[in-house]
Amino acid sequence: MTDTLPARRAEPIDAIAEQLLTTQSPQRPQLTPAFDLQIDGRTLVGRVGQTILEVCRDNGVEVPTLCYEPKLPGFGACRMCVVEVEGEDSPPISCSRDAQPGMVVQTQTPRLRQVRKTNLELIFSDHNAYCLPPCQNKCPSHIDIPGFLKANTEGSFIESARIFKRTIPFPSILGRVCPAPCEEHCRRDEVEEAIAIRDTHRYAGDQVLKAQAAGMKAPVPFEVQPASGKRAAVIGSGPAGMAAAYYLAIAGHEVTVFERDPAPGGMLRYGIPQYRLPKVEVLEAEYQGAWDLGVKLVSNAELGRDFTVSDLQNQGFDAVCVAIGCYDTNKLGIPGEDAEGVLEGLEYLRIATLGLPYPGHEGTRVVVVGGGFTSMDCSRTSIRQGAKEVTLVYRRDMKDMPAANEVHEMIEEGARAIFQAAPTRVATDANNKVVGMEFQRMVAGAPDASGRRRPEPLAGSEFIIECDRVLLAIGQGPDLRWTARGSEGVGANKQRRLAADAVTFSTGRPGVFGTGDVRTGAATVVQAVAEGRRAAYAMDAYLKGMDLEAIRTRQTLAEPQPEFLSIVPYTSEVKEPRLRLKAMPAEVRNKSYIEYEMPYTQQEAMAESGRCLQCTCEAIGYCDLRRQGIEYGTTLKTLEPSRTGTSFRSVSENRFTGTNHDYIRDDSHAFILREPSRCIDCGRCANVCKEVVGAACYDFMRTGFDTLVTTPLDMSLNTTPCVSCGRCAETCPTGALMPKPRVLEKFQVDESRCILCGICVDACPYDALRHGPDFELAHDSRQEPAIDLLAISAMDRDTEMTYVRRERDWLTRAQADGRGIPAERLLPMLPAGAIGAPARPTNGESRPQGGGHSGHLHAK
Amino acid sequence: MAILQGPASWPSILLARASVAGAATDIEAAEGAGAWTAWRQAAASLTPEQVIRLVSTSGLRGRGGSGHPTGAKWQACAAWPSAIRYVVANGFEADPGAQLDRTLMETDPHAVLEGVVLAAYAVRATTAIIAVNSRYTTAIERLRAAITAAESKGYLGANAMSTGSELWVEVRELAGSFVLGEETVLLRALEDRRAQPDQRPPYPTELGLWGEPTVVNNVETLAAVPWIVANGSSAYAAIGAHAAPGTTLIQLSGAIRNPGIVEVPLGTTLREVLDGVGGGPTGTFKAALVGGPSGGFLPVEALDTPLGFGELSAAGAILGSGTVVVADQTTCLVDLSALLTRYLNDEACGKTIPCRIGTRRLAELGQGFCTGRSRPSDAALVASLSADIQDAALCGLERTAVNPLLTGMRYFGQEFADHIDRGSCPAGVCQPIRVASVAH
Repeated sequence: MTDTLPARRAEPIDAIAEQLLTTQSPQRPQLTPAFDLQIDGRTLVGRVGQTILEVCRDNGVEVPTLCYEPKLPGFGACRMCVVEVEGEDSPPISCSRDAQPGMVVQTQTPRLRQVRKTNLELIFSDHNAYCLPPCQNKCPSHIDIPGFLKANTEGSFIESARIFKRTIPFPSILGRVCPAPCEEHCRRDEVEEAIAIRDTHRYAGDQVLKAQAAGMKAPVPFEVQPASGKRAAVIGSGPAGMAAAYYLAIAGHEVTVFERDPAPGGMLRYGIPQYRLPKVEVLEAEYQGAWDLGVKLVSNAELGRDFTVSDLQNQGFDAVCVAIGCYDTNKLGIPGEDAEGVLEGLEYLRIATLGLPYPGHEGTRVVVVGGGFTSMDCSRTSIRQGAKEVTLVYRRDMKDMPAANEVHEMIEEGARAIFQAAPTRVATDANNKVVGMEFQRMVAGAPDASGRRRPEPLAGSEFIIECDRVLLAIGQGPDLRWTARGSEGVGANKQRRLAADAVTFSTGRPGVFGTGDVRTGAATVVQAVAEGRRAAYAMDAYLKGMDLEAIRTRQTLAEPQPEFLSIVPYTSEVKEPRLRLKAMPAEVRNKSYIEYEMPYTQQEAMAESGRCLQCTCEAIGYCDLRRQGIEYGTTLKTLEPSRTGTSFRSVSENRFTGTNHDYIRDDSHAFILREPSRCIDCGRCANVCKEVVGAACYDFMRTGFDTLVTTPLDMSLNTTPCVSCGRCAETCPTGALMPKPRVLEKFQVDESRCILCGICVDACPYDALRHGPDFELAHDSRQEPAIDLLAISAMDRDTEMTYVRRERDWLTRAQADGRGIPAERLLPMLPAGAIGAPARPTNGESRPQGGGHSGHLHAK
Repeated sequence: MAILQGPASWPSILLARASVAGAATDIEAAEGAGAWTAWRQAAASLTPEQVIRLVSTSGLRGRGGSGHPTGAKWQACAAWPSAIRYVVANGFEADPGAQLDRTLMETDPHAVLEGVVLAAYAVRATTAIIAVNSRYTTAIERLRAAITAAESKGYLGANAMSTGSELWVEVRELAGSFVLGEETVLLRALEDRRAQPDQRPPYPTELGLWGEPTVVNNVETLAAVPWIVANGSSAYAAIGAHAAPGTTLIQLSGAIRNPGIVEVPLGTTLREVLDGVGGGPTGTFKAALVGGPSGGFLPVEALDTPLGFGELSAAGAILGSGTVVVADQTTCLVDLSALLTRYLNDEACGKTIPCRIGTRRLAELGQGFCTGRSRPSDAALVASLSADIQDAALCGLERTAVNPLLTGMRYFGQEFADHIDRGSCPAGVCQPIRVASVAH
């Protein structure tokens, strides 16, 4: 010791500092002796003092845990990390058992999985909280439904539409034509009736359209990225193509849309009648949002007729998206199908939706074959065009109809419907003109791949419906004749659809993508939009030069899993019936092309949105409980038909049901949100808060079934010694403790009022304030920032005044010493009189020397 | 609670001084009846290792319910390298219906204290703690008086019995729930920490009170040690059953003619105890709840089970707290087992999920049987859930909390079936069952 001291003194000061820093830096963990043990049949290396769990984690063996906090010794509350050790009767928990040399450990036996599964089921039986809401899960585009409903409830409809546009750019269009699969799965159904999700976003979208009419720009869901310099071509301006174009434009690419018809819209314009979707007020107005982003349109240009894929690529388009939809109506394959008067439903609608009467339709007797939305549109348009008699025939039962919810409206308007009958032939006269159609009764057989029961013919049950015109609406397929020449590499698959990957949307030809109906076959508008959006993400990745195979996982994970956990049912909600849209009387609307459903009033839209149970969880992406629930199969894969028979409701598959706790959400704290109903009593927050932070805000309170990890007397975190460090929220495996979502605000530092105390830097729990080039806080007592948070609240304007006084005294002294004060040293708020004449700065004057002054601020 | 006199052939070890006047309060009277001779003998002529060997060869096993060999426990603690060791005597008596430890501590505090001292000497501990239920004020008072008296005699203190080492004994009052019967919970409570169990191993003999090796013994176990030291291990091993020799205290209550506490040699059958000392049931014998709230129900056919750790465990019960509650024909086993399960759930510390939620679901399933709201699959569900709870159990409470329902269903399956399938309660206890089943 005595020898080294003088030598140290002789060292340059930097070396001492370095030595000091080195000795104070965190010590590397000492490696303890190693030994071998067997885990799941593999020989692994463990170290003395390690638990079995630590050995597993070090070697990449997955052992589920909920209560394990790596900073602390094993706790052993969740019983998820149980493992089997050879020679022991009951399975120990691996987080609290030291690994021993030669141990033989099994981590995934049926017995362990059974124990873990039971544990999870027990947790879920008292887990009064929800993961992803089923509505969002079942929406093909996974709209944040609770999010926009919440915005609606608050009356911020533009924000609501913006949330909507994050996944679907067209809230008003979808608000009219979407079959709303979300509503079939709404959990409000467990209370009384599903929420009118579609009608509420229709209202929000309409508010945007109204604002647009008044000159405002449509809200854009994300910040538009700077121009990438890449060009993308989208072929087809239907819902899939336009969704792709919209998100590609936001991503900063130059997008051109090619449309074979004179006006954009595809099936939205030429397949859906005016009375369901007004073309000018809604379709064109909502498409304006895309044109505003700089999307260009080339109309009257058809793929295969006017250009080929090669042409586009030769013209410098870096990526091409084929979204041309399905326009080839399927054939029945029965005698007489080519007779005069047998029309393709789409061909008929194409004329009719333009507002033109189809030649010779008035006064005819029409039979419509099919049960989809096209058949519904054909029937209802025929009524409006003055057909004498309209009959819809569908081969399955009404509940199997894709468009089941429109049937009643159609019947009200004057059509009739016949179910469970399939066409067998078209009756014609000598001139090959339709005089009737023969059908055969069907009975329900065994369920097919779609879960619907396959209709089987009943022999001898044939009957004839007399008619003058037959409209076929039995589905469509894509027209792929263009693939032959100039588009090599792009082809059809076995189902006669465009062959493109379901995740990356890439076709056989590099840079060419296929999306929408042309890939999936005729589907709903919302499915097409979802396809378009996901294709846009894939194309964006391609345009940025990423490997499409590498983004496959990212693309898959971005879409929520189609499963949700079986959880406790709703029991105590107040019943509030659904507000339904009022429709025009059937006898008025069946002659009119005006939209027949009356929109909500603002109050109605807000009230209906307010019925949402907000059964969503902010922790959805990082909840360990959910992940393990999915892994251990405590998820709900089946739904049962609801009471009404037309929809499905969730059922609990949990073996255990019983009383469950319903705790109150505590959002009294500024940064930490507590949702005790999501707490699984793992104790991680309590242990971390006590052992790591030292504050001990939480602990196990009460006993038995009512045990809850909470604050003493369930008081607000504000009343505990909480230091807002956020470690509890960080360690929480579920969403019981979360950093509070904050409204984005911009803050400004008023330098004239800043007293340079540095408290903001020290107190900031997220290290958001620190030394940087633009903002510098100098403080000559930074070694010991003894911040007394309680004292801060007592500090008031006094401090400010004290500081002004001290600054003035210092100035007086400096003047007395004859030192000149540079102007930037003076605080602007210092009263002008205090500065005085001698303070005028002179060049070359010496800067004030040290001492007594607490700090200074440079704003550059 | 009355102390019953067993047949003359049953030796009196634990309650030997119960009839000696003044032995509970006066050290002279106690010494006159043989107290402290073992400690004097051991301090003078036995090494700590010899004491451990004596206890080991006597075959003494833990009376707290576990039946762990006491000598092996001491040996493990003494062998664990540490400068500090503790001895904790568990006189908490978690079972609210039991009065055994209380009776022992009140009638013969010197036997308990001498056992504690011998244990501390054997494992070279300088501090011993007697943890007593805070409701047992008389026992606490007498134990403290005994400690003062023993210190003044030089049996304890800075140079206890001239052995050259310190030895201090302290009485700690504890208040808490049923789960304090678990040794790791008791230790956490003594440390003023959250009263929740930890996984064993590491056993307290390695990682006990304040992280030091600790012997945790029931006061009844320790009270037998002076007799063993004074009379030799073979004399003790000759008493009762071969696998678990010695005597134990049994408390008889419920529908029995002579309720009270009796000292019984292990290996005696339940029938001998109930019909002999107990004088037989007051009504028609239906079941005996053996081992406290988390014990098991034994039917009349199982009454020939000898009192012993392995034998009772095989029959579905435990020696547990040493209580035997007799139920007659007016008791509904379905109702009682559901009630006990619910009690155990309420007393749980809430740490582990199978215990906190699992035993609650068991209690609810049991309650469902009583009220006629059960599904046909519920009986199987009880069995499967119980197996999973036992499999992943962290502590004794959790492991034994399934006993009432399991033994009820095992021995009184017909009564459960009557409730589940026919909606009737043969004992006439579950009254709403018919109404509920009709309404259902």
